[in-house]
Amino acid sequence: MRNLGADVKRWLREPLLHFLLLGAVLFGVYELTQAGQTGPVSSKEIRLTLNELTQMALLFRSQWQREPTPVELNRLVENRVEEEILYREALAMGLDKDDEIVKRRMAQKMQFLAEDVAAAREPTTAELKNWYERNSSKFAQPNRVSFRHLYFSPDRRGNHARDDAAKALARLTGQPEDSQIADSLADPFMFQAYYRDRAPEFLGKEFGPQFAQAVEKLAPGSWQGPIESGYGWHLVFVDTVIPGRVPVFEEVEPDVKTAWLGEQKARAWQKTYEEMRAKYTVLLPAPPEAINAPRRAQ
Amino acid sequence: MNHFKKVMFVVVSFVLATGFPLMNALGQNSDRNAYFGETHIHTSWSLDAFAIGNTVTNPGDAYKYFKGEPIKHPLGYDIKIDTPLDWAGVTDHSEYAGVVQMANEPGSAVGKIPEAEPLILKARTKEEMERVALYAINTLASGPPVKALMAPEIADSIWKKNIELAEQANEPGKFTAFCSYEWTSMPNNMNLHRNIFFKGCAKVPAMPFSALDSKDPVELWNWMDGQRKAGNELLAISHNANLSDGRMFPTEVDTTGRPIDAAYAASRVRNEPLIEIKQLKGTSETHPLLSPNDEFASFEIMSVLLGNPPGRIPHIVGSYARQALKDGLALEDTEGFNPYKFGFGAASDAHNSATPYRQDNFFGGHSFTDGTIEARMSGTLVGGMFDARIEGTAGLTGVWAEENTRDSIFEAMQRKETFAVSGPHIKVRFFGGWEYASQILESQDWVKVAYAGGVPMGGDLPAVAGLPKTPTFIVWAVKDPTSGNLDRIQIVKGWTKSGQSFEKIFDVVWAGERKPDKWTGVVPPVGSTVDIENATYTNTIGAVELKTVWTDPEFDPSLHAFYYARVLEIPTPRWTTIQAAKLGVAPPDVVSATIQERAWGSPIWYTPSAEARKTAELGPTVAELMAKGAVALNDDQLKSLVVEKSVWLQNTVTGDKYMIIYGALGKGPDATPLTPSDPGYITQRFPENQGQFQVRYVGKNVALQSLTGDAVGASAFGTSRTYNINNGKIVTELVGTPLEITVYKVGDRYLGARSNEFGYVNYEIVPAESELSPLAAAPSEKPRG
Repeated sequence: MRNLGADVKRWLREPLLHFLLLGAVLFGVYELTQAGQTGPVSSKEIRLTLNELTQMALLFRSQWQREPTPVELNRLVENRVEEEILYREALAMGLDKDDEIVKRRMAQKMQFLAEDVAAAREPTTAELKNWYERNSSKFAQPNRVSFRHLYFSPDRRGNHARDDAAKALARLTGQPEDSQIADSLADPFMFQAYYRDRAPEFLGKEFGPQFAQAVEKLAPGSWQGPIESGYGWHLVFVDTVIPGRVPVFEEVEPDVKTAWLGEQKARAWQKTYEEMRAKYTVLLPAPPEAINAPRRAQ
Repeated sequence: MNHFKKVMFVVVSFVLATGFPLMNALGQNSDRNAYFGETHIHTSWSLDAFAIGNTVTNPGDAYKYFKGEPIKHPLGYDIKIDTPLDWAGVTDHSEYAGVVQMANEPGSAVGKIPEAEPLILKARTKEEMERVALYAINTLASGPPVKALMAPEIADSIWKKNIELAEQANEPGKFTAFCSYEWTSMPNNMNLHRNIFFKGCAKVPAMPFSALDSKDPVELWNWMDGQRKAGNELLAISHNANLSDGRMFPTEVDTTGRPIDAAYAASRVRNEPLIEIKQLKGTSETHPLLSPNDEFASFEIMSVLLGNPPGRIPHIVGSYARQALKDGLALEDTEGFNPYKFGFGAASDAHNSATPYRQDNFFGGHSFTDGTIEARMSGTLVGGMFDARIEGTAGLTGVWAEENTRDSIFEAMQRKETFAVSGPHIKVRFFGGWEYASQILESQDWVKVAYAGGVPMGGDLPAVAGLPKTPTFIVWAVKDPTSGNLDRIQIVKGWTKSGQSFEKIFDVVWAGERKPDKWTGVVPPVGSTVDIENATYTNTIGAVELKTVWTDPEFDPSLHAFYYARVLEIPTPRWTTIQAAKLGVAPPDVVSATIQERAWGSPIWYTPSAEARKTAELGPTVAELMAKGAVALNDDQLKSLVVEKSVWLQNTVTGDKYMIIYGALGKGPDATPLTPSDPGYITQRFPENQGQFQVRYVGKNVALQSLTGDAVGASAFGTSRTYNINNGKIVTELVGTPLEITVYKVGDRYLGARSNEFGYVNYEIVPAESELSPLAAAPSEKPRG
């Protein structure tokens, strides 16, 4: 027979449960606090404590690397007082109600609160390894190629660049990569004539995506082409292909943790929100042609 | 051993022959590589982005986008960059949040503050979480903010998260992420924004200096100096000068009324090496009214004020970079300091955590206001401020750096070895020197020789004693492999003389067989392959690569000057044309249907030696004239001198002569009614003391001094502008910025000083001319060919 107590205990430690509970708590607390909230809005007294003044000076010092002068401190105090006065007057006038920006800001704060609690937990290495096994394809590295290429420039050859490349290929068939005649057939290239161990993303930036994709597919060991790039036409001799691989966990552990944490936050927030949402009923008006009473949304 | 040497020889020869750049053991390239980066983007953590509906994505998503992964637009659809970037800095504003997390970090400073005590979970129990949540809700969501929780260690937990995400995104050698933020100063709707970049993230302050601390750029620079002294290297990049209402580049006083002086200049130059010259909200290079002879000056112009305050017309003077560079030279020459010695970058200022850089992938920058094709193409007024159709793509900042690391890229920005692009990854190099051989570009390692024999973009030509010969410039550009071919490279030259400043644009290398105009050197347009109806183009015109060596045919060693390269693509369809084709509607009538994407390299400056400068023939200053007993004319004297007269003037700096007709001044509504046949019938109805003036006989080849508007057009078409005479000055204006002329009588001569010419007296009334352009020599001696 299974030990129910142990199961329950394990379940109580489950982070998601905490998030569900927090969601319920946040909602419940929000309802309570909305009821009889008067706060200090009606008070015309603004009291600053020594602690608050110290904080102001601390803040100044962290920015300016020195203590504020009496004039500067006075200005800080006045700014703080002005902000407090405006805040209270605004609340008294109900400016926070039906203000789209205030609504969105508060909604964002709720989200941050939930995410903060989610981020407060450190994962175990076993958890991360487990997660990595299921998600390792995200970390896979692409093939890298090394190749020499010959360039046929439209600036020099106009419409003949491709034909010239094809003719040059005929002369190079069977020639090795470091063939001496190769340079004489082609034009100087503005970047490199030889590339070592390059991934497709780099080649895409250097030559344009179509060239990168074409080179990826080339079999090594012979002159191939003509292949088009954003700069004209090329013949390419791939000599090495280093196949892409999935790294072992230890190589990428920090990145795995970051990715795992991101996923936890997103899931925690989603669960919390779903809990809150389930408690609400949303009523939408029917389309104009409908004669029924407003329907309930799902 | 012999065999080994042979092998090495072959290997090394092969490597050198193939032009493999020499890299040291660390993978650094001493010839430097071009790295493209975004220096200005907002995510949902910026309150303004949040307010307009970007509540979804954060800096982590922005870095994902820059690295090539798709993310969500605020409206929910996927967006993906065309070409991944090499580096970026997310520039949100700092705000407070994440208090609970901060409080619960073991050993955190936050945890030690008494007011944070209620936020600390004493145990990971349901009750404790409830209690903390209750307190958090009460303090954050309901009551007034607990000021103690806005202490430096806490108030910027968003800032701290920002730094964390930048550190996570930073992959030295692959992608550089900077710690950065925006200082959003906007006094009276005048954009003075700067983006602040820290070299490293280790000593970043707990709280960055915000516009709530001060809106004054001088105060920002003071704070930055303090940071630097504390070992925290940083720099600022200003943007949207075009929206600054003329306050970004003042020449007399700054926004607080402080005079522009040597201390201001030193502080600005020390802290702000770069400006952001192009972004979604327009280009700040120059304006057609400031550069009437630049046929490419109307590129992506937007002149508005943020917040769209009613009844205000944005000022053009003081809002553009090229004029600022010229004013900087004039200040250096007349007063000994130059606050406007900056390099160029470009960016987005998008608020979607992502931005389009290409016309065929334009998804706006401001959440839902420009996030659908319908919203954009129906001319939605974004924020009530500007027509969405006028909005452009984002630009990028290119740097020449040894490697893709924070140190290397930051140092490139500091020394201004940077260039701006309008979106495509156009690469441009620019060098200036005294000893470059004209065939330097024929060798494979010309870049190495160029660095060794001169300075790259952003630098100063090395000082030479006495009178130097003409400097030589090398310029090279390569297209973005996925964009249009190149049309031409131009070099924009600015110089100053006697308080006036001038500019001239040289076409130095271009695609195809076009011949420059024999006399002006101007190269005809490259043509267009754009099919506007279908919004397509072909790369059958233009070039993949352009490069040349150029010397200034008009170099005057006695005058301060700057030179910068501008690279133009062939015309391609603008995003409005592409999206109009998609909708099956006409392209909008408020923007150009085609666009020539471009790159701007940072300037290289020439400073004459004291000896060289002495040879400059300068006009007298006001002070010199007054010392000689000159008398400034009063209003009545001015009126009798010019009103209802055609006055011939000479610009004594350039020698050019022209005529100005000063029309009758109005007499106001109460004046005696005249009959239509009276000359003054129309003009007398102007308010008192307001009249019109007309410039005549200014030809296209005249070197126009700054701030004269379109004098050539006015001469050709007979248009006029208003003037009045008040307080001893003849007052005109250029888009609302007054320009005042004071006239001095010296003996029987009348000399004029213009208020924007730094105290020099550069104009003289001269006898009327009868021949505007006398021929130089007898016909048989005319030069041929």
